[in-house]
Amino acid sequence: MKLPLRRPLGEVSEICDIPTEVIIHFIEEEWVNPIDSELKMLDEEDVCRILLIQDLKDKFGVNDEAVPVILHLVDQLNFIINNSNGDTL
Amino acid sequence: MIDPYKTLHLEKNATLEEIKKSYRKLAKQYHPDLNPGNKEAERKFKDISHAFDLIGTKEAKGKFDRGETDDQQRHQYEQYRNAQQGRQQSGGHRYSSSFGEEFDADDLFESLFGSGARRAGRGSRSHDMNFAGEDELYQMEVELKEAALGSEKVITLPNGKKLQVKIPAGIESGKKLKFKGLGKSGVGAGPAGDIYVQINVKPMPGFTRVENDIHTEVPISFFEAINGAEVEVPTLDGHVMLQVPPGVSSGSKLRVKNKGVGAGEHRGNLIVTLKIVMPKNINPEMKAAVSKLQDQFSYNPRSQV
Repeated sequence: MKLPLRRPLGEVSEICDIPTEVIIHFIEEEWVNPIDSELKMLDEEDVCRILLIQDLKDKFGVNDEAVPVILHLVDQLNFIINNSNGDTL
Repeated sequence: MIDPYKTLHLEKNATLEEIKKSYRKLAKQYHPDLNPGNKEAERKFKDISHAFDLIGTKEAKGKFDRGETDDQQRHQYEQYRNAQQGRQQSGGHRYSSSFGEEFDADDLFESLFGSGARRAGRGSRSHDMNFAGEDELYQMEVELKEAALGSEKVITLPNGKKLQVKIPAGIESGKKLKFKGLGKSGVGAGPAGDIYVQINVKPMPGFTRVENDIHTEVPISFFEAINGAEVEVPTLDGHVMLQVPPGVSSGSKLRVKNKGVGAGEHRGNLIVTLKIVMPKNINPEMKAAVSKLQDQFSYNPRSQV
């Protein structure tokens, strides 16, 4: 199956207006796991995660220690919602 | 058929920069992480992504605007969309699916902070939590003289503690001084944060800083300009006598060494700009005397213009 919406790092950097070094830092910290880590290709989910991290850091002043905690909470919350099958939490 | 401009809330003549800006804004607005369980937001998010794919680069935009975007590319999006749906049916999003089927919501705190965290949530501090303390930032106003020549000040922090701040000679406005480990306490074995004191230099009338030099303007009389003179000029640390050579013009610059900003051999200079000031009242005798001089020593200052 073709997945056309995969973008190389440089293109993502341009879209997000974030330097590649910063995105590489996000990847090294394992906050972002590129859909294709070998070729450093990112998909839309990765792009939005990068934008979310950048917002957390820039707009809310979240420091590097707190970023994984927040992402972890967001991921867990999504997991609960996706698996609740409409049940009330 | 999708109209990417409409999807991205843009006019047909939108620039590439506007497209990127709108994409970033909308992608954040409708991202599934921020709209958990909202199918409509999910659909919009995918449409936005696809729209951006069609016009998000110079080449793609050019191709689309000329009507050259082939149907295959549009079909690829449908394939992608289907693949995404398949992915969700088999376990949700990539990031959130890593918790596995055995995930228990009760273990949320444990998985985040370790086994002690649940106790922490009920009031006691966990030994497993080690976070560095927060940094604190304070502003301090200093006089130009203090910033130029250096000084020491004591400030009182909001918690009542005193902090001795040594201002290095030549510090620029906006620079921050760091006091390691004096910020908020860390959690567990985490180190304390730091204190930063940001220096704001107050402007001083008559003096302007340019790198390590201080610029000032000194008025001199018409006679001092012709004959030369020794005039007193103010500096950051007292007055000095400046030798004005004969025949200077308004705007002439003279340098007083080592009277600028900084310390030791790095100290800059004082740059004095001369300004010839005429007497406020010109009486007939003076006018007659100058006319006589003009007849005898007339010159054209605009000959080089």
